[in-house]
Amino acid sequence: MRKSEKNAVWMVLPLYLFTLVFVAGPLLYVAALSFAKPNEGYGVTWSFTLENYKRILEPVYLSTFAGSFRLAVTSTLAICLIGYPFGYFMAKSPKKTKKRAMLLLMAPFWVNSLIRLYGWIIILQKKGILNWILRKLGLIEKPLSILYSYPAIVIGMVYVLLPFMALSVFSSAEKMDWSLVEAARDLGASGFRAFWTVTFPLTLPGLLSGVILTFIPSMGLFFIADILGGNKIVLVGSLIQEQMTRGSNWAFASALAMVLMILTTLIILLYRKVSNVKELEEMR
Amino acid sequence: MNNKKSIFSRFYVVLCLAFFYLPILVTMIFSFNSSKSLTKLTGFSLRWYRELLNNVEVSKAVYVSVTIAILATVISTVLGTITAIGLSKSRKVVRELVLNVNNLPILNPDIVTAISLMLLFSSLGMRKGYWTMLLAHIAFCTPYVITSVYPKVRSLDPNLANAAMDLGATPLQAMTKVILPMIKEGVFAGALLAFTMSFDDFVISYFVSGNGVKNISIVVYNMTKRINPTINALSTIVIVVIILVLVLANVLPVLLAKTKKRNRRVERGITILVVAALTVGLIRWGHVANGSHVLKIYNAGEYIDLGLLEKFEQEFDCTVIYETFESNEMMYTKLASGEEYDILVPSDYMIERLIKEEYLQALNWNKIPNAKNLMEEVMNKSYDPGNRYGCPYFWGTVGILYDTTVVDPEDLKDGWELLRNEKYKGNLYMYDSERDSFMIALKALGYSMNTTDESEIQEAYEWLIQQRDSMEPIYAGDDVIDNMISGNKALAVVYSGDASYIISENPQLDYLTPDQGTNIWTDAMVITKDCSEVDLAHEFINFMMDEENALSNTIEVGYTSPIESAYDEMIHGDYEGISAYIPEIDNPKSEFFGYQEPKIKQKYAELWTKVKAK
Repeated sequence: MRKSEKNAVWMVLPLYLFTLVFVAGPLLYVAALSFAKPNEGYGVTWSFTLENYKRILEPVYLSTFAGSFRLAVTSTLAICLIGYPFGYFMAKSPKKTKKRAMLLLMAPFWVNSLIRLYGWIIILQKKGILNWILRKLGLIEKPLSILYSYPAIVIGMVYVLLPFMALSVFSSAEKMDWSLVEAARDLGASGFRAFWTVTFPLTLPGLLSGVILTFIPSMGLFFIADILGGNKIVLVGSLIQEQMTRGSNWAFASALAMVLMILTTLIILLYRKVSNVKELEEMR
Repeated sequence: MNNKKSIFSRFYVVLCLAFFYLPILVTMIFSFNSSKSLTKLTGFSLRWYRELLNNVEVSKAVYVSVTIAILATVISTVLGTITAIGLSKSRKVVRELVLNVNNLPILNPDIVTAISLMLLFSSLGMRKGYWTMLLAHIAFCTPYVITSVYPKVRSLDPNLANAAMDLGATPLQAMTKVILPMIKEGVFAGALLAFTMSFDDFVISYFVSGNGVKNISIVVYNMTKRINPTINALSTIVIVVIILVLVLANVLPVLLAKTKKRNRRVERGITILVVAALTVGLIRWGHVANGSHVLKIYNAGEYIDLGLLEKFEQEFDCTVIYETFESNEMMYTKLASGEEYDILVPSDYMIERLIKEEYLQALNWNKIPNAKNLMEEVMNKSYDPGNRYGCPYFWGTVGILYDTTVVDPEDLKDGWELLRNEKYKGNLYMYDSERDSFMIALKALGYSMNTTDESEIQEAYEWLIQQRDSMEPIYAGDDVIDNMISGNKALAVVYSGDASYIISENPQLDYLTPDQGTNIWTDAMVITKDCSEVDLAHEFINFMMDEENALSNTIEVGYTSPIESAYDEMIHGDYEGISAYIPEIDNPKSEFFGYQEPKIKQKYAELWTKVKAK
């Protein structure tokens, strides 16, 4: 027994060191930077100041956080509404269909997400396909300016993150014991009631982990706001990017990153409390 | 009853899948379009595929993406699997700790991981490039492997390994013959996940790479600013490759099953063949175009006739690494963070700053005989007296591009205030640049654009805020060019050179230089202090000042050439009647941007962020 434990230490050690240097290290460094004083121009002076955090409390930056949060909530809601039935139906379909649908869902992952977003530019632009279709259908008279607007960003978010929700719901629905639903139906429950009292609670862990997998990234995906939203700063992620690349204020960017990290940690803690699980639903 | 339901659920699944494939399908269709348009199909052609194949940047990016994904997958799978096995046998405290720290990259938004790694690399003095990108990818892929392997390991009987060893197996044998086969599925899933994450990554790669190393995402991100159908061609090729791989993966095992006896040998043979072919191919690909001398140039986006770079490479038997930036500020940040370049093409005020902060070396004008072609109007300006450091590249003004069919000629009298005329609400592009935007506000208010007076700056800030709220402008970058050509909006703030090009493509538009004065600017080529190819750099500057080369450059880009003959040729030839090509420089209210003290600069930067963040 002792011997195998010793072996285990040697096995974990390489990654442990790696994690220390490349995961914990940078985060600690960012934490330290967030208390440093930004130089005028470039770089930082090491000192202890809360200035960077105070700056976040300025109304503009607070409203960026609020806006980012709102956008994340909107996107996540849309993703739940579309993705839950998607994953659920997929899990329920016959084995062959299931396999095919799964393959079709995974394949676009390997087409770069930026390339796929570029496709949306073509669709959403003023003289693009969507406007053309809407006009042909007689739904609108003047072309809509969807590209570079808020809805365009939401569409981009939903598009990029939906597969995570679908997969998460799928894997939890697939593990479910369907005979429970049959039992409920046999005992006289209506289809809806059976779903609501049996299926839904049993697939809830999948839904919740899907929420986590979509909500958290959506705060940081600045390139979606960039490409489809026309360079407006609507996300905390965009703000951090702006501070890193143009403002060259690393200390402030670090403080923003710290706050973002604390927020996401809180959300995850909340999730663990609600769902009573320790790890995210295993993704497949 | 069930039938109805299953039809509905099938329909829904198909609909969702259609949503995933719609943009891909659209890019595939437009990849065969004969014109540049992304709105009209004009005919079938393979033009964009040819352009794609000739695009060295893209093929290098494919190489980087593929090799990094493979290496990161292999390394992180090995690392992750070992750790997962080790963890299952460690004490609970260690396990919890490792798992928690390990989960951070999965749970954090990418951008947090990205900037933390970038800051770490720069603090360690590591040169950003291939290796930093690889390390970062391993760092964020390993956790995914662990999360998929660990549950499988945990479900194993802990006595299995011991039993194997009791029966005489070495620990290694126990591992490879007993444990691994049982967790194969998890390892495979983890590897697949790692490969996908690495291949598709943008945010992390964007921050941790540099020095000309780009993956597909970064190249596409840079390309999205302009209409670029080569992206469509790339998308189609990627899809075709994926389909091939998927078909192979599904068909091969079936074929192999038929030849059951030789199954393993054949399988092994094929694997070895594929891996070998891949490795050889990739190594050869990686060595495309490696001349002995390398010149690194950092220029603004869409600001050169790329054909000239090839011509230069051939004439001087060297390799040019060409990178582009979106703004002077971005260029400065890269430079300050330790990226090395030989030639930069910044604007006047930035050159002044680079001189002051000693980033540049003086030019040796004896090595630039073509300097005789330069016109006098652009020389010897306050940002660089005597042109000790900079050789003018393009010059011009900033003004308003307007649609003559929409904008009332009466309104033009208002100059910059036109940009606050609510008649054109939602019909306007501003330029995403703090100095230009503040210049507009300050000029509209009648102040100097180089003011350091806090109350004047505050007033300008309020002007911009008022404009943002009442006009709902879009803060655009280079994307403004294509959008104005296709007539998407009535007004846009543009540089005179972009205006010339846009007007030459869409004659409905015209250019206004407001009477309140504007920014007269010069962009110039400068050589950095760390330049390792000083002679070659001078040759390049001289090459660009050649009359013929300058002409083809100005024709391609549309900006005003500082070379006398090219300038004359343009105003009497292609661009005759396009006023934007002739910068209005006689208005005494117009100015050059001056050097800003860091404190003032930061003030402007902060206020601009606030304008853009709503």
